Amino acid sequence: MRAPRLGVDLGAVFDLLGGVLRWIGLAFLAPTLVALFTGEDVLPWLAAGAAASGTGVLLDRLTHERRADRIGQREGFLVIALIWLLVPVFGALPFVLSGEPQLKAPVDAYFEAMSGFTASGGSVVPHVEQLSETVQFWRQLSHWLGGMGIIVLAIAILPRLRVGGRRLLQSELAGPTELERFGSTIRDTARNLWSLYVGLTLVATLVLATVGWLGLDDAMTPWQAFAHASSAMALGGFSPQGESVAAFAPISQWILVVVMVVAGLNFLRLFNVLIRRRGARELGRDDEVRLYGGFLLAATALLLVELLTSGEASGEEAVRQSAFQATSIMTTTGFATVDYTQWGSLATMTLLLLMFVGASAGSTGGSIKVVRHLLLFRIARRDLATAAHPHVVTPVRKNGIVVDEQALRSTVLFVLLYLFAFALGSLGLVIDAERTGVELSAFDAIGAAASSIGNVGPAFGDAGPYGSFAGYSNLSTAILTVLMWLGRVEIVPVAVLLTRSFWRP
Amino acid sequence: MRIIVLGAGHVGTTVVEALFDDHELTVVDRDPARIAALANSFDVRTVEGNGASSSVLLEAGVRDTDLLIASTSRDEVNLVAAMLVRRLAPQTRTLVRTTDVEHLRAWRDEVLDIDYMVSSELEAAAAVIDAIAVPGARVADVFADGQVTIAEFDVEQRAHACALLDVPLSRAPIPPQSRVALIIRDDVLLLPRGDETIQLGDRVAVMASPAAMLEWSRQLAPDEPVVEEVVVFGATQVGIAIARKLLLHDLRVRLVEPDAERARRAAAELPRARVFHASPSDRTLLREERIGAAQVAVAALGDDADSLYAAVTARAVGIHTTIGVVDDPQSIAVFDQAGVDVAVNPRAATAQRLVLFAHDPRTRQVALMDDDRFDVLDVVVRPQSRLVGRPLRELPRTSSTIGAIVRDDSALFPHGDTELQPGDRVIVLVDQTRTAEVEAAL
Repeated sequence: MRAPRLGVDLGAVFDLLGGVLRWIGLAFLAPTLVALFTGEDVLPWLAAGAAASGTGVLLDRLTHERRADRIGQREGFLVIALIWLLVPVFGALPFVLSGEPQLKAPVDAYFEAMSGFTASGGSVVPHVEQLSETVQFWRQLSHWLGGMGIIVLAIAILPRLRVGGRRLLQSELAGPTELERFGSTIRDTARNLWSLYVGLTLVATLVLATVGWLGLDDAMTPWQAFAHASSAMALGGFSPQGESVAAFAPISQWILVVVMVVAGLNFLRLFNVLIRRRGARELGRDDEVRLYGGFLLAATALLLVELLTSGEASGEEAVRQSAFQATSIMTTTGFATVDYTQWGSLATMTLLLLMFVGASAGSTGGSIKVVRHLLLFRIARRDLATAAHPHVVTPVRKNGIVVDEQALRSTVLFVLLYLFAFALGSLGLVIDAERTGVELSAFDAIGAAASSIGNVGPAFGDAGPYGSFAGYSNLSTAILTVLMWLGRVEIVPVAVLLTRSFWRP
Repeated sequence: MRIIVLGAGHVGTTVVEALFDDHELTVVDRDPARIAALANSFDVRTVEGNGASSSVLLEAGVRDTDLLIASTSRDEVNLVAAMLVRRLAPQTRTLVRTTDVEHLRAWRDEVLDIDYMVSSELEAAAAVIDAIAVPGARVADVFADGQVTIAEFDVEQRAHACALLDVPLSRAPIPPQSRVALIIRDDVLLLPRGDETIQLGDRVAVMASPAAMLEWSRQLAPDEPVVEEVVVFGATQVGIAIARKLLLHDLRVRLVEPDAERARRAAAELPRARVFHASPSDRTLLREERIGAAQVAVAALGDDADSLYAAVTARAVGIHTTIGVVDDPQSIAVFDQAGVDVAVNPRAATAQRLVLFAHDPRTRQVALMDDDRFDVLDVVVRPQSRLVGRPLRELPRTSSTIGAIVRDDSALFPHGDTELQPGDRVIVLVDQTRTAEVEAAL
């Protein structure tokens, strides 16, 4: 009898998965300590940590003889898809186990954990400030762990990922980045990324804490400083404050704008500039950086026009509100200093479109990413030129360097899949609203889907920055969870799983 | 002088032919047949063997040799031979032919310890430029990465209406970004002082930015069509080198290449050229892309028959000047008969350059003008030079003119009160007999 052969080495996949999960359990020690400190129940945290590590060890045992060098392209896709699917499962456990009243339903808890690890920032919790302190801490920590990426962290720490790590890192880093140009071993690259990430988070925390300590912002306690600095570095968006960043003084808001802008840059680049002290001048001339800045300025200007003409705000406040909201939504963070759902159509439309922009490739942000917009525009320009001159050969360039055709095709593929998933998602939301009889306007559905797949967080209508997704049905919540997952793994690793050729030998 | 020539191919043979009368030559080649053919024609010593081997070089007498000319068609052999000679006989100067621009760059950055390097592609490109760069000029050359052009014009009857004539230079409407470097009248060289004038029958050497040089050309040769656009057929190594050089001269360049992969590579390498993937005789291409609108066509398809066809087709669609890059020296006559204006043979140009160096091995010398009486020097001013910090009008007169100064990566064309600064790169036109003196002073 001929058994149907599988083209994917599941053993290797589970082996790697086990190796990563085993150590993920350690992350739960941090909230356990916080719980001890605040006198809350430590059991849910210990249990969740044990569950993660236990599953890891179990998977490891099952695949005892396996080696990571069997991680190929396809196994890599599967590992990435599964890790981002499984880690939030364990992340959601304590929400349910601790009996948190606002996160009782497993679907809601999973949504919250997915939103945390994918650094989205959308919440099903209507009253964040009523959550227990440990739960609040875990939400922020999940942002921070997921922001730079669990797999990047695993590559930095776990010896077994030295083999096959390059492909994983390539797929894990958001957007098309030139890993080769970074010029290090893959483990050094991952370590550099994480140390830069840790360093920048520390600096941001210290700066914010100093602002509080100097008495410039009474609300900025050290805990709030850490919570917002880590959330901003991860381009996440969770805040322990019900009114998000509006709770803080203008100076803190401006600092967070800077943190978000920096976190939205390519970390490989940032490392070269800040640590290796080279390429600082190139940074300003980089095509992606310039377009990133251009998008931010244009968006700020559009919002400012709306605010000034409608008289919602004026002076420094208007500038600050438009800069903050534009930066927060475009970099896919999701903080807010004002309830932008009250703004007029110009601002609303601008914010919706910004959800499709995203930050730079190699940053902690989600969505389409600036570099893909750049390439897409240049592909279009090139193909239009070819329409007029059929014989002309024009390579597409980025920073003067020719981008190979394969990379261009994957850019187009990504954007198509992204829009397709977004369309399906928003359609799904509307169908579900129809089914359950919940009031959901088409625009709000579009906003929720765009926000989720872009890992932005807050959307429009009830799901605005001061609202939550609590009103969405379980099915809608699940749809949004899937969209966040798709957005974080950048769709392709999941989409290939749906093709038959993926599973063939 | 005792010279070893590596390679008895086309370049090597041309070199031997030019040098065997005055020098003692030893020719090394791996092919016994070529060695025999060469020995029959010229009175030279021959050694059979691989030039990149120390025993062969020693057998050729490298220790008593003044100059090694490594002119095989293989870059690596030439380079290894030059490296070996540097060790075996440090006093022997080395002269290397290369086909790779990378090697040339490494040599310019002084990473390769070689006395002089010549590239066939660049020689061919230079020959094409000489033919077209400045309409109406006798000779033209570029320096400082294309920022400075030097050209020599004969002031003929067609320039009689020019506003520059018969007016003292200090008051003449000289185009900005340019400078008269030299005037030759009745075979006498005149340094262009403010009270000097340009007269009919003079020959003037001008240094200028590319744009200003075209203005000079319009003034002194008003009836020549101004070359604005060149079509290069063939993205061969020579074709690309030519296109690159043309782009340096601020000309619009279109490149037509029949091979898809080559076209793609050329487009990647030359961002400012427009590259087309099509056969040079493709009628849709010629019509749709209005190829005939160009003033010059260069055919460098790698095959003489193809190039000839492309050049003649270009003429047929109305291109004013056609240039063919020929591989086989015998093709030159064919191109000529077919009405192609200029035929450039890269290997002949390379051989000429090698011979030039063997005759007068001043590595600083970058160009010769006016029948070899003048050198153009491209020198960086040393900080300890006594000329630093003094206005040009006070500098000692040494039958030379500083035509251009490259400072902070941009070219400026100095006046009497401009001062030299250490680190300036100066382009100097100098009487050949006083080259060494001027170079030492700077």
